[in-house]
Order: sequence, then C-alpha cells, then structure tokens
Amino acid sequence: MASQPEIWAYSEKPILLGELLGGARVLAEKLSGRVIAVIVGPHTIAEDAIKMGAEKVYWLGDIETRLVEDYVPTLAELLKEYKPAILLIGNTKRGKAIAGRVAARLGASAMIDVKDFIPSASGVSTRHMIFGGGAVREEKPQTDTLIATVGLGNFENADTDANRSGEIIAVPFIKPEWKAKLLGRKEKKVTSVNLAAAKRVVCVGRGLSKQEDLVMINELAHLLEAEVGCTRPLAEGLDWLPRERYIGVSGAFIKPDLYLGIGVSGQVQHTVGITDSRVIVGINKDKDAAIFSQADYGIVGDLYAVVPALISALKARK
Amino acid sequence: MNIIVCVKLAPDAKDIEVKVDGSISVEKAEWVISEYDLPAIEAAVRIAEATSGKVTAISAGPTSINNSKLKKDVLSRGPDELYLVVDDEMKVNDTHFTTRVLAGAIQKLGPIDLVLCGEGSSDLYFQQVGLQLGETLGLPVFNAVGKIDAGADRLVIERNLEDEVEILELPLPAVLAVTTDIHQARLPMMKDILKAGKKPVTEWKIADLGLNDLKAGVNVLSTTAPRHVERKKVIISGSADEAVQTLLGYLSKEGVL
Repeated sequence: MASQPEIWAYSEKPILLGELLGGARVLAEKLSGRVIAVIVGPHTIAEDAIKMGAEKVYWLGDIETRLVEDYVPTLAELLKEYKPAILLIGNTKRGKAIAGRVAARLGASAMIDVKDFIPSASGVSTRHMIFGGGAVREEKPQTDTLIATVGLGNFENADTDANRSGEIIAVPFIKPEWKAKLLGRKEKKVTSVNLAAAKRVVCVGRGLSKQEDLVMINELAHLLEAEVGCTRPLAEGLDWLPRERYIGVSGAFIKPDLYLGIGVSGQVQHTVGITDSRVIVGINKDKDAAIFSQADYGIVGDLYAVVPALISALKARK
Repeated sequence: MNIIVCVKLAPDAKDIEVKVDGSISVEKAEWVISEYDLPAIEAAVRIAEATSGKVTAISAGPTSINNSKLKKDVLSRGPDELYLVVDDEMKVNDTHFTTRVLAGAIQKLGPIDLVLCGEGSSDLYFQQVGLQLGETLGLPVFNAVGKIDAGADRLVIERNLEDEVEILELPLPAVLAVTTDIHQARLPMMKDILKAGKKPVTEWKIADLGLNDLKAGVNVLSTTAPRHVERKKVIISGSADEAVQTLLGYLSKEGVL
C-alpha cells in the first residue's frame, strides 16, 4: 500500500463524480489520505475532478466508440500498480459490472451499495444491508484495495473551486481480450429525482387502489412541498411510478425532516430506507400495520378519507 | 447449446431471528432457492428448449444445501442435472470465494456454451458472482441482461440499464447475469416434480475441484439487526378532519411543515 493511503474515485457517469469525490474527500480526511480520480471521457471532466478536490487524475482518455466496460483491463492494471486503499465506484448497473470484473482480476470481493465505511487502525471495514434489509453485515476486505460501490445520497457533493490545482496523467488504453459489439441503444424515459436530498417525502404504498389516485397524492405532495416516493411494488410490478421513486433496501435511502407514509404497511425492506427520517407519520386503515410501531404519529383510517381531509386542511392554512 | 445455470440456495429471509445481543441467526431458517435465480433457470431452460440443448444446474454451499427437497425443487424447474459443491467452508458466504468454487466446478465439467446467473442473491444481494465468474473464466460477461437471442456462436442481448437499454452482440461462450423480468418462472407441475426425482445429482467437495490458493476476499466481522430508532408512536384518533388537525398541530410543533 502507498505510504499515504490513496482514495480513488472512478465514475462511469459524470453526474456521480461530485458525490464520489465528496466521499473520497471525507474518507481521505479520516485516513489522512490523498484523493485521486480516475476518469474516462473528455479532458474537461478530468479538469473538473481537480476543481472538486482530486490531487491527481488518471485520465483514461476519450471513450470514442468504446464501451465503459472495455476499460476494465486498464483500470485493473492501474490498481495493481498503485494499490490504493479504497476505490469508490457509482452504484449503477455499469458500476457494479466494473467493480465485479476488476475485483476478479485482483482476486478480491467488491463491496456493493456500501452504507457506511468504518476506519480502524487495521484498515477500513464496510456495512451493507443483507436479507432484504433484515440485517446488516460488517466485513473487511482481505486484499490491498477496498473496492466499493456507493449509491446516490451517501455523501455530499464535493464543492468546486477553480483555484485548486493538480496533475492529470494520461493512461494508455489496454485492449481487452474480447469485445462486444454495440448494436444500438434505446433511451428510457427517466425522471430525475433525488429523494435522498428531499426535506419532505410523501410515500405511497399498496394501500392505494388505483394509479389514477396518484393525482390526490401529487396534490398533497405539492401542498407540502414534498417529493413523492413509493414502496417497491408500485415501482416494480405495478409500474405506477418510476423506479427512481422507490424507497427501500435496493432503492433510495432517505433522510427527510418529514416522512409521510400513505397506505404503507411498513415491511422492513421499505423501512430500512426511512430510518434516518426525523419525523415519521403513517396513515393506514389496518391498526396492526407495522408502520405504526415505527412512526412518531399514526392515523388509523382510510387514506381515501384522511388524504382529502389533509389536503383541505393544508389549503385552509395557506 | 450446453448451458450452465448457477443457483444459490440460501436461508429464507423471513426465518431469520434476532438474538438478544442484536446478532442475527439463521439456524432455524428453511433453505430455499434464491428468488433472483428462478428467472435465470427459466431463461436457461427456454434457450435449451429452443436449441435442443442441455441445462446443468450448479450450486455451492454449506451442508444445509444438501437436502433432497431443495435438490428436487431445482430439478423440477427444468434443468437436466444438478451438481452440488457441498462444503462447510462455503459458510463464509463471500462473493470471491463462491466465484472461485463455481469457476472450478464449471472448468471440471468441460466445454460449455453459456453460463447464466441471477441478478443477485436473496441473502447478500451483492450482484457480483456472475460478473466475477465471467472474468475469472476469461469469458465475455454482462449483467442486467433482460433479453437473450441465442445464435449458433453469438448472442444478441439487451441490457437493461438505469437510463437506457443497450443492445449488444457478443461471442460465445459467455456468462450473463439476468434481471428478474427476463421471464416469469414457470411453476413445476406434478409430472415435473416426479421427473425431478429421477434426474442425476452429483455431489462434490471443494477438494475435488483442485483449486489452488483459495481464500475468502473478506473477513465478516458481524451480522446484526438494522439500527432501530425509537419513535413516539402517537396514535391519533377521531374523525378524519379531527385527526388531520391534530396531526398538523404536532407537525407544526416539530417544525417540519
């Protein structure tokens, strides 16, 4: 390992770079380490990484017609040579693919969707949810580099300061052993929402009987200046709301001042994602719903009576 | 086409127990097929049906997986045979260790065309073994695969990423981790269950795989119940209008409106 531990941030998506560098800076402070970025893409992104606090950037060059995954051998060789203490990667599907493939080349295990990093004298361990949120496993890699993916909202965005300076080192591309041919891409309609940053969240669960009733939920959210979130079945299965609005173990983890759960039963797969909310409110017609044992305030009642009453009361206050 | 499907057998999450010290026990849990692997089995069986191929299921785990009901459950879903690597060393439940063992078993089986894995496991959900496996075997590998069109020596796949679907052509053999929506897994019929009892099952130990320098990638420090925050648990009664007014009063006091 380098004499001063190096924390590397690698983002396969420019939009995640700020948070990964923010995280790298937090960890570098705790470990008295240095922040280094690994960039695939335009040179301007490498320059941005310096402005966001990277002391050094390994610039893998413009992607041209390559896939991000084609850089796995290049990244793995860099890691073997410099042995950073930590490599942070965005917790996207591509990020997980790169983490796993690079880990295999290093004989390591990658830690996915890490919620906490715990530094100690003997290195850094990580916490990750297992059993669909039913348990938390803390583990410590037995290899030189801790490879970890982190989801949106785990760290604050790194601030940008144009006066920061650093070194940008161009790294030659290593040709992979095999190549997939890109035949095409189909864009998906994605709503950009950052639930992790929301101050108030109105979350809707299976208690809602039909998709059209989301109009009422949206109206309530609008009055509360809240973001709308949902439990997994509404985003995956029913497809009433986009995947980005799903809160829970494999979705968003939120920390709003106010969480208002409407027709949410309160299963652990969902509630692990709301633990850090300051005030939790549950509205459910089943008095035995698990949400009530995890809420600060609960209303046992039909959401189709309570939500309209709440909307009128909020309107009256305006 | 000669297809391998990797199946994780894991404790059922609903049977885990929290002990007084906050640690988690799976001792009394029933072991089941990891739910994310059911669509992978279905995908393997469909490709084999379309190409007059064969499906071999492989699972590696501790002694708890060596259970006739589980073995029958895997085989009743369509694979032609099952290989189990049963070894209590698997208790470490580490993605690198599991990958090395599965890779060793696949290499021992001889030439293959395609390896399918589920998106992740129902217990750890690291979504890593398929990817590490492809890389360890030196084969083309992709995750998030939502569609597979199998040709004689090439595959066309659709990768379902967060903001786009990527259509890729890749050479065989290859390793793919498939999403849960690739196929709805069929329910085994009585005749499938009866047939499953007659299909071959081979059991290996890790020592049978001839792996050098096999060690876990991680040291597990603890497995505990998630952090619990005590809540006020105030239940507000009254008509909808009254309850809402009371609630808004509380929320004003909390300063969250």
